[in-house]
Amino acid sequence: MKVTTSTSGAAMVAAVEGRVDSANAKDLDQELGAVIDQGGSRLVVDCSDLRYISSAGLRALLVAIKRTNKEGGGVAMCRVPDHIREVLEVSGFTRLTKVYATVEEAAGSFD
Amino acid sequence: MDAALEVGMKPQSSEPRRVAELFERFGAEHDLPPKIVMRMELALDEVLTNVVSYAFGEDAADAQITVGMYISGSLVRISIEDNGPPFNPLTEAADPDVELPAEEREIGGLGIHLAKTFVRTLRYERVDGRNRLTLEQPLDGQPEEPSE
Repeated sequence: MKVTTSTSGAAMVAAVEGRVDSANAKDLDQELGAVIDQGGSRLVVDCSDLRYISSAGLRALLVAIKRTNKEGGGVAMCRVPDHIREVLEVSGFTRLTKVYATVEEAAGSFD
Repeated sequence: MDAALEVGMKPQSSEPRRVAELFERFGAEHDLPPKIVMRMELALDEVLTNVVSYAFGEDAADAQITVGMYISGSLVRISIEDNGPPFNPLTEAADPDVELPAEEREIGGLGIHLAKTFVRTLRYERVDGRNRLTLEQPLDGQPEEPSE
């Protein structure tokens, strides 16, 4: 797994690549936590190169959603491959965070 | 199209990924539909993670876990057997309420919920002092579209 951080407007963007499962979900939790620490309470998670996510990875995502919500921001997802979207839907995560086509749309959703 | 692959694994946190990826390769080598492979891989990963995390307690040193992957006719079957004390991950956690807002969401049970949604049949048996979990998915026709 690799997390690349950038900015888009007033939002922080975390692009998550590769595979997130029980073996490395703790790393994702820490990476997203670090981005939020840097002022990223408006957090875009770019999933274009996310190949696989299990419930352990969703747990890290839920932590980020709860924390950014509390800080008055939130998490917006974007560029989510179909098979990942299916996992988000079955888990009810599409009720917790919105999914956008592009990074810019996701970043703009906080305005 | 008949095929079989059996592997042993240890109750360690790195093992579910290794075995799940073995299944991914097994599916690709035998031209199974990628959508079915992805769903079964996730279900397998979730169930194995549960077994590795909770099934053995202090007795992990003597643990034997065997995973069998089989294609017979139009059925894909994965069998997970271990020699731990009786442990049924399918009833261990309550089904999560996936409609709750983030603040009220708890993550427990989500893995098994995903597994139950993504394979047609999930079965637990206690046989000759061993736990046996079976995942079965027919290949004819796509699995039903899961709903939230």
